[in-house]
Amino acid sequence: MHIDWWTLGLQAINVLVLVWLLRHFLFQPIKAVIEARRAAAAGLLQEAETARAAAQAELASVEARRRDFQREGDAILTAAHAQAAAERKAMLDQARGEAGRILAEAHAVLDRDRAAQRKTLEAEAGELAVAMARRLLDLLPPRQVTLALLDGLATEIDQLQEAARRDLATADAIVIATATPLAPEIQAQWRDHVAQRLGAGPRLEFRHEPALIAGVELRGPHTLLRRNWRADLERLARALPLAPQVRDVQQLA
Amino acid sequence: MQSPLETHPAFHLGPLPLSAPVLVTWGLMLALAGGSWLLTRRLALRPGRAQAALELVVETIDQQIRETMRVPAEPYLALIGTFFLFVLTANWSSLVPGIEPPTASIETDAALALIVFVAVIVHGVRVRGWRGYLRNFLYPNILMAPLNILETLTRSFALMVRLFGNVMSGVFVIGIVLSLVGFLVPVPLMALELLTGAVQAYIFSVLAMVFIGGAVEGEPGEARERNDR
Repeated sequence: MHIDWWTLGLQAINVLVLVWLLRHFLFQPIKAVIEARRAAAAGLLQEAETARAAAQAELASVEARRRDFQREGDAILTAAHAQAAAERKAMLDQARGEAGRILAEAHAVLDRDRAAQRKTLEAEAGELAVAMARRLLDLLPPRQVTLALLDGLATEIDQLQEAARRDLATADAIVIATATPLAPEIQAQWRDHVAQRLGAGPRLEFRHEPALIAGVELRGPHTLLRRNWRADLERLARALPLAPQVRDVQQLA
Repeated sequence: MQSPLETHPAFHLGPLPLSAPVLVTWGLMLALAGGSWLLTRRLALRPGRAQAALELVVETIDQQIRETMRVPAEPYLALIGTFFLFVLTANWSSLVPGIEPPTASIETDAALALIVFVAVIVHGVRVRGWRGYLRNFLYPNILMAPLNILETLTRSFALMVRLFGNVMSGVFVIGIVLSLVGFLVPVPLMALELLTGAVQAYIFSVLAMVFIGGAVEGEPGEARERNDR
């Protein structure tokens, strides 16, 4: 077997040259374009990542703004609630005050009406009492009533103060008025009573006055002793808030 | 009658004898380099079909280097890629009537094996330094140094003989059959020769990667530490 060393050397050189040629015209350009594409893809990915990050940042910003709006809305709502509650409280307080005032006025009106009604009732009751007393007195024997009243009048003379007793004792005349006319023996009996108590100085005058309603009066110059039911009724009527018409009747009487 | 195992000059260019394998190789170089130049003149980020095919070839070779050598492919891409493309086109050049593939001559295969042998030393020293490269022969111990040196020589020789034997035998068989039985009978054998040529180009490239990778890697784990650094 024969080896052509020239051919071997030339083929070695040829292969080495081919290595250089293919490196220069094939492998390097192809690798370069692949790398460029990879870089472009990486750039695109980077841009996409940047855009995604920006979008996320924008989303976060929008979310933050939305939360701010929510917070602001909540604050406004809370303030509105507070203001509404305050206004409601104020209106309630005002309504309570107004209601209290109206209630107080109503109570006052009621009190006034009740007082007026009570006065009316008392007046009517007094009038009724006077009417009943008149009826009851009408049922009693006038003479017995007058005697009992005269006994009471004698007791009052006994209880008079010294000045009043002296005034009566020094009087020229003493009038004894009764609702029913006194019998002569009663008059004589009374003259004795007066003489025993006041002395024989005063002259007694007996008068018949039906308006006294079962009663007697002893009238001196400056002293008046009343012992009759009419006087008691008048005192009672003065104590009671009698109806105006009753008072008018009493005054007339 | 000339021996098919011998290469004879086709003509002389001055004192330089030019044989048929050299001329065919020049033609292949012209086709490969010219075709590459034509196809890579207007590369674009959006590739056309031709560019996509070229990128597929280059990326496949690149990936094969990375997977086989477990190192970055860039320093070896041109050499290994040229081995593969040249051997493949050389083997398939037999399809052209009247052309005998350059790899069917032992000088071409010897030149290729010689380049692999030198590339192993150059890349081993480049990556690991002289000491590191020479220490590779002492693995697993110093007693194995003669055998390792002998293995380095014989494997390059085997690389040469393997390619030469496969391609030359195919050409030889097709020639014999063609001379004996007629025009269309060798066609299946030629198709088989296409497959054989592709397989031989792949085997040659892979063995070149393994040899260079072994020199670059050195002892087990050394390349991994280097890559980590």
